Amino acid sequence: MIRRKGLDICLLGILILSVGCIPLAETAPSPGSPDDLPGCYAIFPAGPWESVHKIEAIIRGGVSSSLLGVTKGDPSERRLHSLLLTPEGFILFDAELREGGIAVRKAVAPFDSPAFARGLMEDVTLLFLPPQARPTTWRKEADGTRICRWESHDDSCIEVRGSMDHGWRILRRDDQGEVTREISLNGPFVQGLAFHMELRASKPTSYRLRMTLLQAAP
Amino acid sequence: MKRFLFWSVPIVTGLFFAAAGPSQEWTSLKEASRDIRSVKAEFLQKRYLQILTEPLRSEGRFFFYASGSLRWEYLSPLRSVMLQKGDTVQLYHFSEGVWKPEMIQAVESRRMVLAEINQWLQGRFDESKAFTHLYSPGPPVRVILAPREGINRFIHRIEIVLSARPGVIDRVEIEEPGGSRTSIEFRNVQINSSLPSGIFEKP
Repeated sequence: MIRRKGLDICLLGILILSVGCIPLAETAPSPGSPDDLPGCYAIFPAGPWESVHKIEAIIRGGVSSSLLGVTKGDPSERRLHSLLLTPEGFILFDAELREGGIAVRKAVAPFDSPAFARGLMEDVTLLFLPPQARPTTWRKEADGTRICRWESHDDSCIEVRGSMDHGWRILRRDDQGEVTREISLNGPFVQGLAFHMELRASKPTSYRLRMTLLQAAP
Repeated sequence: MKRFLFWSVPIVTGLFFAAAGPSQEWTSLKEASRDIRSVKAEFLQKRYLQILTEPLRSEGRFFFYASGSLRWEYLSPLRSVMLQKGDTVQLYHFSEGVWKPEMIQAVESRRMVLAEINQWLQGRFDESKAFTHLYSPGPPVRVILAPREGINRFIHRIEIVLSARPGVIDRVEIEEPGGSRTSIEFRNVQINSSLPSGIFEKP
């Protein structure tokens, strides 16, 4: 009986240690076939691009705002330049991500806090740039669904799953395994950009961004 | 003060009804606007940003009533509307089939700008704290607005191209420091036509 109890505790410990990045309901895919690896990058622009999105931002309580989002990026250099504009065309926020640092060119209240700049550029990075390293694991299931996972040293991870037929999801999990960002992407894809995207943020602040592609160019 | 630019587009619509110039030209423009009770028009706005190869195009319409009511509405690509009646300013955007109040109202800054517009509508440009003005006889006649200290951080220059038709402008160009600019072309301008009831109160 004591031995059984010890075994249970041991199993519980293993479970707790393993939840950092892996979804509870499934096992991690083992490293996949090299042929399937390019599929992990299918939802990200492959080369330099510029885009305009219609954005509806919804925060807690259902209060919402309608904005235009302009983004220019170069995945090979991991550079991003993002603007938020009012429908009238007034620039509320203008920042660049370059060499891992954020340079804010313009920020108007309520978009003028460093936390907002950091959070927005992290979201834009998650939307448009694949993680830097090669995925830790990936696989392609029989129905064509791809599951790719990038695990970090801090036990957080990013997961890309889906297919062109059924849409895609990008999940970011923290070191406790909780989903902090969930992005759904639905085609058609133009210049490697999904026509419809919805980002749901749950931590540290809860909000939703509904994005529709208006313009895309290389 | 920096929120002023937020309203730069609606501001210039006020110039349908007043324009600045020296002596008799200036007076004649005011005379031409004196009988205007209402205006409605469509517009095409092109926003040139250095980050974009192609300009961002928006289309919309506006309605103005001389008692101080304005409806400035974008129909695409974002559907949104600003309503002003007297001291009341409201902003809505259209989503999922309904009009929703806009989170970023910036009502105080809008009120400040509306006060400027009222001065312009009465031809009191010399009282403007935001812009100095210059009359260019053309043709076409142009009014050039130069921002005063503070505003010049956000607007470099505004140029209003007047129509040969009295009281009407054809185009507005807003230049910003750094090279970005906005062009607004007006079309189907109707003067003193009847306006739908409630157009300044409900989205």
